[in-house]
Amino acid sequence: METNVETSAAVRVDGLRQRYGDFEAVAGISFDVAAGELFALLGTNGAGKTTTMETLEGHRAVHEGTVRVLGHDPHRERRRVRPRIGIMLQDGGFFADLTVAETVEHWRGFTPAARGRDEAIGMAGLAEKAGVRVRQLSGGQKRRLDLALALLGRPAVLFLDEPTSGMDPEARRETWRTVRDVVAGGTTVLLTTHYLEEAEHLADRLAILHRGRIEASGTVGEVVAGHGDRITFRLPERLRVAELPELSGARADISVDGGHTVATYTVNDVGLQAGLYALLRWADEQDVRLDGLRARSASLEDVFLRTAEGATR
Amino acid sequence: MNPAAVLRVARLDLTLLWRNRTALFTVVGLPVLFAGMLVPMRGQEIDGVDGALLQGTGHLGFFLVFAVFMNLVNVFTARREDRTLKRLRGTALTDAEITGGSILTATAMYAVQALALLAVLGAAMGGRLPADPVLVLAGLAGGVAVFATLAFAVSGITPNAELAQLTVLPIMFGCMLGAGVMFPMDGLPEWLQRICWFVPLSPVVEIVRTGYFGQDFVHGAGHASLAFGEGWLACVRSFLVLIFWAALGRALATRWFRWEPRHA
Repeated sequence: METNVETSAAVRVDGLRQRYGDFEAVAGISFDVAAGELFALLGTNGAGKTTTMETLEGHRAVHEGTVRVLGHDPHRERRRVRPRIGIMLQDGGFFADLTVAETVEHWRGFTPAARGRDEAIGMAGLAEKAGVRVRQLSGGQKRRLDLALALLGRPAVLFLDEPTSGMDPEARRETWRTVRDVVAGGTTVLLTTHYLEEAEHLADRLAILHRGRIEASGTVGEVVAGHGDRITFRLPERLRVAELPELSGARADISVDGGHTVATYTVNDVGLQAGLYALLRWADEQDVRLDGLRARSASLEDVFLRTAEGATR
Repeated sequence: MNPAAVLRVARLDLTLLWRNRTALFTVVGLPVLFAGMLVPMRGQEIDGVDGALLQGTGHLGFFLVFAVFMNLVNVFTARREDRTLKRLRGTALTDAEITGGSILTATAMYAVQALALLAVLGAAMGGRLPADPVLVLAGLAGGVAVFATLAFAVSGITPNAELAQLTVLPIMFGCMLGAGVMFPMDGLPEWLQRICWFVPLSPVVEIVRTGYFGQDFVHGAGHASLAFGEGWLACVRSFLVLIFWAALGRALATRWFRWEPRHA
């Protein structure tokens, strides 16, 4: 019996655990991806991204927990799920002796209601390479061909495992445009990437995985919020560290950078605006000049790096 | 399993086989070489029949080792390691359609060889039409099933495509020497003959010769003539051995066959 909740989420992961022998690659994660949404899984190598993707693609059985794609178990009900999903593998091989056009042509035979050959080759941006053997394509061109094959059957759910690795910036932009078009057309996309910029550009929501667990998830704004909004300035010569104020409970971290003593406040709790106001009022009252004053919100990169560092400590 | 999908996979396999010269030589070149070896045997009587025909009917079975067994071990090992099996599995194709397409191509290649060999035997070696063509066909079909399942199993324990040249050798040599392809087994000690019954190719060769010559090639020397239909009775043991190998091959394939490299 499927409830409405189950059918409204295109992808549902609940308490997923995956083990390889003693090693737990995925240690109990849960998330939903709504229909038409682009959800990004971020993480360092070995964080569990690819294992999660391969489980959702139906390549491996679940050890513990449940996963549903379009309301079905992707492994046990592979035949119901596969015709409606598109998969771009991180390390899927090609038949090197086939040309681009032959590859697309054979794959059209394996795909119900497939796009036309020329349309697919056009999507890959390989119209001029149609007669070239796949072994002669560059890494980036192979990724583009891979994407076109994944999109061949106009899938309801598209899995992209590091889709732009090995691409030059132009090809990456081109790929992003294709992915955005697909999402605009109503396709649900699950994407893994090393490139935080990519997630910031494309993702409606994202999750940061580390050692098999979700460390943070939500929209980019939500994930970044409260993760290190920072105010920094150079410590004025005539002040001692002890004389620096508390900003709503936050104390300054002192570091030395380029011969200067630098004070850094992390104002997660009060936020950048209130913290900055308190600091400037204090400076006004003390009549000190704050050189090199900078205030900046955390970026996804800050959150990501902190997550990665957090566990190596 | 959708037959049209199987055919589309088979078409892909055929294209790839044509592009891969090494594989093409295994499937086409080796049989031609072996067929050439029949020429000097012509007219020499062995075991009560013409030597070229005796070996030729042995080759009819033995070609299964090239076209079906070695070919499929190569195909599945190479595709597993270069991740094309995984890619195929990412399409709407079912597992049975993916493997069925490759088996179909291998079987078709084998069928072409078998027909060509029968034609050569008939036209140039003084051969005949098989006494019981259905029995011959049943033996060969059983052989395809056995060697296809063995190929699945062996590909699972073959680390990469280069090593496939080695891992196929025990079964290849076992079949070449122990199944009576080149020479009759009657001269061997009794205990060794009994062991040779259980070489996977032996039942195929026994059934094919019995069906081809219309004589009993299962139960030792003598090779009594059989009336039409009696060949099936003579081959009961052979069919049982075939079923045993198909079941064992299937069990090993289920245990060993893998779709992805071990350290994916």
